[in-house]
Amino acid sequence: MLRRLAVISALLLVAFAALPARSARRPRYGGTLRVEMGASVATIDPDATAATPEEAAAKMQIDALIFDHRDADGAFAGTVGSGPFQVTSWEAGKRAVLAANEEFREGRPFVDGIEIVMGRGAPERLVDLELSKTDLAEIPPQDARRAAEQGVRVSVSPPDELLALVFVGHNPLRTPEGTRSGNAAGAAGGRASGRPIARATEEVMGQTLSLAIDRVAIVNFILQKTGEPAGGLLPQWLSGTAFLFPAGAPTAAELERAKELSKEIAAAGPLVLGYDSADPLEQSVAERIVVNAKEAGMAVRAQALPDAGNSRSTALQTAHVDARLVRWRMTSPLPREAFKSIPLGDDTNTPARLDAVPFPDPATPEDIYKQQRAVLSRFNVVPLVWLPQVYGLSARVRDWKAPGPGENWPLADVWLDAETPTGVQ
Amino acid sequence: MRVALPTILAGLFFGITPQGSYAQTTSTLPKSWNDAAAKLVDEVSAAMSPTSVTLDVENISSLDVSSAGSIAASVRAQLQRHSFSLAPENSAAAQTAVRLQLSLSESAADYVWVMQILNDQRDGTAVPVMIVAAPKGNFADLGADVQSLSLEKRFVWKQAERFLDFALWKEETSTEFTLLVLGTNRLTTYKPGGSLWQLARTSPLPQATPPSRDPQGTINLKEGKISLQGFECVGDPDLAGVLQCKASTAARNLRGPLVDSPGYPISLGAIVSEKCRGELISLYTAESDWTESDSIRGYLTKGIALPRVASGNPIEFDGPVTSLKAEPGTSAARAVVHNLKTGEYEAYIVTATCGN
Repeated sequence: MLRRLAVISALLLVAFAALPARSARRPRYGGTLRVEMGASVATIDPDATAATPEEAAAKMQIDALIFDHRDADGAFAGTVGSGPFQVTSWEAGKRAVLAANEEFREGRPFVDGIEIVMGRGAPERLVDLELSKTDLAEIPPQDARRAAEQGVRVSVSPPDELLALVFVGHNPLRTPEGTRSGNAAGAAGGRASGRPIARATEEVMGQTLSLAIDRVAIVNFILQKTGEPAGGLLPQWLSGTAFLFPAGAPTAAELERAKELSKEIAAAGPLVLGYDSADPLEQSVAERIVVNAKEAGMAVRAQALPDAGNSRSTALQTAHVDARLVRWRMTSPLPREAFKSIPLGDDTNTPARLDAVPFPDPATPEDIYKQQRAVLSRFNVVPLVWLPQVYGLSARVRDWKAPGPGENWPLADVWLDAETPTGVQ
Repeated sequence: MRVALPTILAGLFFGITPQGSYAQTTSTLPKSWNDAAAKLVDEVSAAMSPTSVTLDVENISSLDVSSAGSIAASVRAQLQRHSFSLAPENSAAAQTAVRLQLSLSESAADYVWVMQILNDQRDGTAVPVMIVAAPKGNFADLGADVQSLSLEKRFVWKQAERFLDFALWKEETSTEFTLLVLGTNRLTTYKPGGSLWQLARTSPLPQATPPSRDPQGTINLKEGKISLQGFECVGDPDLAGVLQCKASTAARNLRGPLVDSPGYPISLGAIVSEKCRGELISLYTAESDWTESDSIRGYLTKGIALPRVASGNPIEFDGPVTSLKAEPGTSAARAVVHNLKTGEYEAYIVTATCGN
């Protein structure tokens, strides 16, 4: 009996040791991933230009799924269907159905297909996530907390999108095609008063706002703690030096200093702050800035820019704003490349100014810190908050990783499990 | 990517990890960290004459308390070397001393150490700032294992390209090791050459069509064969020589049938050959997925179907363990790790030791 037990035990041991053991982590093949997007993509023609930044971003996600490679300029190219998925059904602006490419050179994706529904608004996406009618959808950062409280599984990227106040008089966003201009505000219609802000006045206004704006309150109340106060032009996780740029709630001394500065610019009249009327976050932040500025004795008027996403330059020309809120998403995980791609405008990043501070390649953390300090010392850009990208996931989505700067949705690596617990990822 | 061979071999023979010199438990910092501390203090010295100073240290990085303390100690020593006198906290001298603020921060790529010379005006823009970068490393784990089982990982190899398994092999008649790295479509052999592994041979391997997104493969030195997604290969005269492969239906499912073993983690595991207190030793990864960091933990059980008990502390990895296989005849296992911080694939030998 003992011998038999010993033999059975030995056989079991050999069999068990030979196995790498069972594993729930091993991916499973099969299933259809349901994705919802806010934007509507009109065409998957790689040469077609998207009408809005939102459409361009959504198109890039779809392109990354159906094209195998990018050109030198970063645009996706090649034959449609050479990527991990092939398009089997396309309804422009509404719906796309993709099937796994069995011959994809990096291996067949785990899911059999993807069904993409376009043009779904944020509230609809959130409801569909709550009802498990979709597997993946973007969530506005200000809704992340509520979504998690509603039981939606939430995936949050490191903060990689900067919301900043930018004086448009010295920014190419104010003028068509980024035309360099000494003071584009005048050329573009000027202020509400008809007079462009003098450069010196603009600098004082920027400094006043930088001191007076309560970034912590924006993060805590408007963003429901999904985000970070921003004092620098690169996030702390990337640069390691963002903490050197003050971004806390204004101290009494800072508020006092802001009041002193606002007296110097009282004669300039109210500053008109534009925001994208289609962006509820920008609207809330703009209204908060009005309140903070008033506390410092500075007059700011928030003005919605209708359809700003569709024709930003045109809208700005007719809107007569002095400054506007800008959302900029990092395009590279490398600090130097990310910094260089910030669309702050030719006047802010004048060659003379940048030449004054050497920017070697590769750049050290100190080099990048000095560059940021040089740009921010002019106060025509006021960083406000860093936003993460937030995604809602169904319980069955596995191996999803929120893409970082410059990355696309990793849907070829995602697989669908039978059941998994919900929670914040 | 190559790793200094003598370091690996020394580690294999004497149980010293290649990162051993970075051990956080010692007061000696890695040279690169000492250099960074010295550079920081050099810059302070260039900015101000030697005087009485106080040093406040703030750690906002992922460095542990012990490491931060060691760095602060190094900076203090460097300051004294530059003839700065450190005023004791709360002393009268501290009231008049220049305040130095050392912030231990980190970026995506490096640790970033920042020294600020604080003045009375507390004007942020006027504070001189010195910044140095110090490399991040994969340092030895802290703390002695008071449990019966302790694990040690030894770094063997890393490369950007995915690989499925590896093996260190030494012929009985030779004193030299050979490193075999099993990629998704080839077996690469490295021989010792100077201080580094030198490429000796690359043998292409047949691939399943279309390729799998979850490829698996095993080097079986004991049987002298390689199993890879539906193929089985043998070497002539050995695996470092010419490979001959044939289709093998038996090898298609390298995972084998699923064995339901209640109490074990639902993850990768391997049972090693040796025992601890007469109990079987098994190693298991954590129950995370491939987007997260991972760990390996030791378990003891009196029998396969009997309850298992976690023993000792887990060892951590900067990414998922994608393969874990027992080393025949030892208490070790081979682990392949996808380091999410660097993007590289790394090979480790994980050894379980039965402690007091």
